[in-house]
Amino acid sequence: MDEIKKEQTTTHKIGIYLWIWGLLFVLSFFSYMVDWYQFQGLLRWSLILIFMFLKAGLIMAFFMHLFWERYALVNVLLWPMTAIACFVGLMVAEGKYTLFSRLFYFFVEGGQ
Amino acid sequence: MSEDINENKTIQAQSSETISGGETGVAPDIDYVRPAELADQDLYHGHTFITKWVFCQDAKVIGVQYFLLATFTGIIGLILSWLMRLQLGFPGAAGFMTAEHYYQFVTMHGMIMVVYFLTALFLGGFGNYLIPLMTGARDMVFPYVNMVSFWMFFVAVGVLLASFFVPGGPTGSGWTLYPPQAILEGTPGSGMGIILMCVSLILFVAGFTMGGLNYLITILQARTRGMTLMRMPLTVWGIFTATVLAMLAFPALLVSALMMTLDKVLATSFFMPTILKAGEVLEYGGGTPILFQHLFWFFGHPEVYIVALPAFGIVSDLISVHSRKNIFGYRMMVWAIVVIGALSFFVWAHHMYVSGMHPWFGFFFATTTLIIAVPTAMKVYNWILTLWRGNIRLNTVMLWCLGFIVTFVNGGITGIFLGNVTVDVPLSDTYFVVAHFHMVMGIAPLMVIMGAVYHWFPLVAGRMLSEKLGKWHFWITFLGAYSIYFPMHYLGFIGVPRRYFEMYDSPYITSAVGMNQFISTSAFIVGAAQFILIYNIVVSLKIGKPAGKNPWQANSLEWLTPTVPPEHGNWGDKLPVVYRWPYDFSVPGAKEDFIPQTTPPSEVVETEVEKT
Amino acid sequence: MSSDPKIEGYKFKPGYSGMAADTASDQTMFKGVHWGKAMMWIFLLSDTFIFSCFLISYMKGRGSTPEEWPNPSEVFALNAFGVPVPLLLIAIMTFVLITSSGTMALAVKYGYERNRKMCGWLILATALGGLTFVGMQVFEWSKLIHEGVRPWENPFGAAQFGSFFFMITGFHGTHVSIGVIFLFIYAYKTFAGHYDEGKRGWFTTMKGDYVEIEILGLYWHFVDLVWVFIFAFFYLW
Repeated sequence: MDEIKKEQTTTHKIGIYLWIWGLLFVLSFFSYMVDWYQFQGLLRWSLILIFMFLKAGLIMAFFMHLFWERYALVNVLLWPMTAIACFVGLMVAEGKYTLFSRLFYFFVEGGQ
Repeated sequence: MSEDINENKTIQAQSSETISGGETGVAPDIDYVRPAELADQDLYHGHTFITKWVFCQDAKVIGVQYFLLATFTGIIGLILSWLMRLQLGFPGAAGFMTAEHYYQFVTMHGMIMVVYFLTALFLGGFGNYLIPLMTGARDMVFPYVNMVSFWMFFVAVGVLLASFFVPGGPTGSGWTLYPPQAILEGTPGSGMGIILMCVSLILFVAGFTMGGLNYLITILQARTRGMTLMRMPLTVWGIFTATVLAMLAFPALLVSALMMTLDKVLATSFFMPTILKAGEVLEYGGGTPILFQHLFWFFGHPEVYIVALPAFGIVSDLISVHSRKNIFGYRMMVWAIVVIGALSFFVWAHHMYVSGMHPWFGFFFATTTLIIAVPTAMKVYNWILTLWRGNIRLNTVMLWCLGFIVTFVNGGITGIFLGNVTVDVPLSDTYFVVAHFHMVMGIAPLMVIMGAVYHWFPLVAGRMLSEKLGKWHFWITFLGAYSIYFPMHYLGFIGVPRRYFEMYDSPYITSAVGMNQFISTSAFIVGAAQFILIYNIVVSLKIGKPAGKNPWQANSLEWLTPTVPPEHGNWGDKLPVVYRWPYDFSVPGAKEDFIPQTTPPSEVVETEVEKT
Repeated sequence: MSSDPKIEGYKFKPGYSGMAADTASDQTMFKGVHWGKAMMWIFLLSDTFIFSCFLISYMKGRGSTPEEWPNPSEVFALNAFGVPVPLLLIAIMTFVLITSSGTMALAVKYGYERNRKMCGWLILATALGGLTFVGMQVFEWSKLIHEGVRPWENPFGAAQFGSFFFMITGFHGTHVSIGVIFLFIYAYKTFAGHYDEGKRGWFTTMKGDYVEIEILGLYWHFVDLVWVFIFAFFYLW
């Protein structure tokens, strides 16, 4: 179909995969521990997000080979995430506002 | 003079060197193009009627299939609009028309025209036909998936039309399908109608994703030798960016349709707040209707540009070819398309100013919305500057292009009104909005489609369309469309609300009665005029003037195939090699007023061609 | 950039200048990237938007309900030796999915090294991992349904909890199931040597190649990736 004129694709040493594999187990264990020790508040959130992004980053970079891909592909894949980031940020604000208006109009005013 | 020639030679040599990636040890041959990276594409050639014309893997046949099916649904949308206008202009004239029917027709007209007609026609129809031809590919990269894409679309249309025949009829919740009313009793078609609509949309998105992957990978990974991104016709750029938008925006539609289906079928409350109906609390509770609006418009606004960007691209090519001038500011045009596409993901809530969303959002979205006007305005200036002092051929194609520019500017300017929160709030949900979006994303892209049909029909069919019928078609449509939508702005200013079945005796709109009758009459005429095109196509297929090769003296690759119309595989034995952009018209020093993309530099040494 | 392919007449540049050169060149933008692989990447990008929309909806829905949101750490607790352990099953599911992701990564490596047997066994192991995951998900669903959690209501608090739980894990589970089906098919094709001989596909009539393993691998890692986000946002929040 699309036979690229090149020699056999170079593969990576098995060690790198095993390392990443191990790291993923450790990180998953850590994020489980966040719940086990019932951390709360900002600490919980930051730990959850850090472990989440580390795991996601490792999977994408090494298992999905993005670390070895050329920047043309990497950038095409990562830039659209800004739209998601914008959507997430605005919906966080919107969720808070909806909750505020519900509490205000149905519980504060309604109670009077 | 001789110095100029030498300079040109060195420029050409430099440009071929940059294309070759600056490798060393190759003599600066000005016709050098880097060898092919990929082996020739392996194609499946159909032999039976079924594999050649029904389940066909040839992008050109698939394009025509998309075109015909989209046109068919478009005609249904047109008939629905006639029925609506009949009711609005002459209330009660259609005896069977109830308020429920009216809402159902509004909904189906909107959804059909935006998704199943315009999107399918531009991306499925023109995209499939033109992308491989214009980029110099043999076919789409995954012909089998492409074939499945069309048949998914076919099923989606079938499901959509089936909703006309289920108990309760199609959904009547408006094309935006806002919950909670879309799935509550009292809205027409709140039973099977809305479920079928959601299922149809999900099928459409799935089918379109298959097609969209094909368009993107073909453009990015299967161009012919010498075809850089900045040598692609703007048509391809427009379709490309629109497809990117579709791939990223349709997910939001898919998710909202899925969640709405669950709300209806499983009685979940994603979008359903606590509702009191006739004193009783319904089973729903705790959901957020505004979430649906955000999801819908996160899809819905890019959707506007999914329709508009291919139109921008196509019209640029048509204007350039028919005014025999290169497109003014090609790179600016490309970047404008890309920037509009990127920005379109950050403006969605300007459709929601009156929805009760977070009050701070208005400022953010008004700002981003008005920023989009900048690249859009650049494009309009560039079209006009392309025409300026051009050798304009005032044929049907050019008339449609001019019609597009006028209607687009008109609709764009009212868009600036509506993008501002304070102006939008009083105008929201009036006929001003109806006039705005019909002008900017209904009539304007439609004008481009018409122009494109007159332009590319000779390629598809090998015969010309009748110019005389075409001019009649254009003038009736153009003047008629203005008679329809121009008065609607006024209706909006006096406060006539949209989506009302009848105004009865509202005293403040008595002046609107005559105007509504005028609008309706124009709508009947304009709608009927579209059948001129169908007649023209049918007749010209048989007795049209044979087009021959390249009847418009265009430069782009689709006109340079060995056979007209092109056959499966497009290029015969040898793929074309591209040396220049497709806009070398009226080049000083050239023998003819056009230099096709495949003409090597050595043949045009004594001309002042652009360095591309 | 260790894995740059060799392309006649094209000199690779590193980093962003390389990106500019690749983008400005003719024929292809992603140099040396197989069509199918590019397609899978773009598809996954689109799929990312689908899952993002699901998770954004979940955040918005959870953030704006005035009712108490059930505590996932209690809801998903499992009794082990008579003691309720929070998120036990979810933790095991996570480990299973990561394990299968690792075997998939190795399968891709051995596929490119044309080690047919090793590749086939690893794909089969991945498929079994996926099957285990789906099985445990079925167990989790039936346990919750048994406890009275429904898409439209649940005994623990806000009704949206059940709605989002079943929808998001259901959509993810569908992805896993589709992946498992393809993994079994690809395991068969690998063992049968279709990728060594370049045997043509059943439907697409295109020649087989070991790059297809990598394409399937991308999909499988993506499923794992999504689970990372679901785990963080749904179970740990």
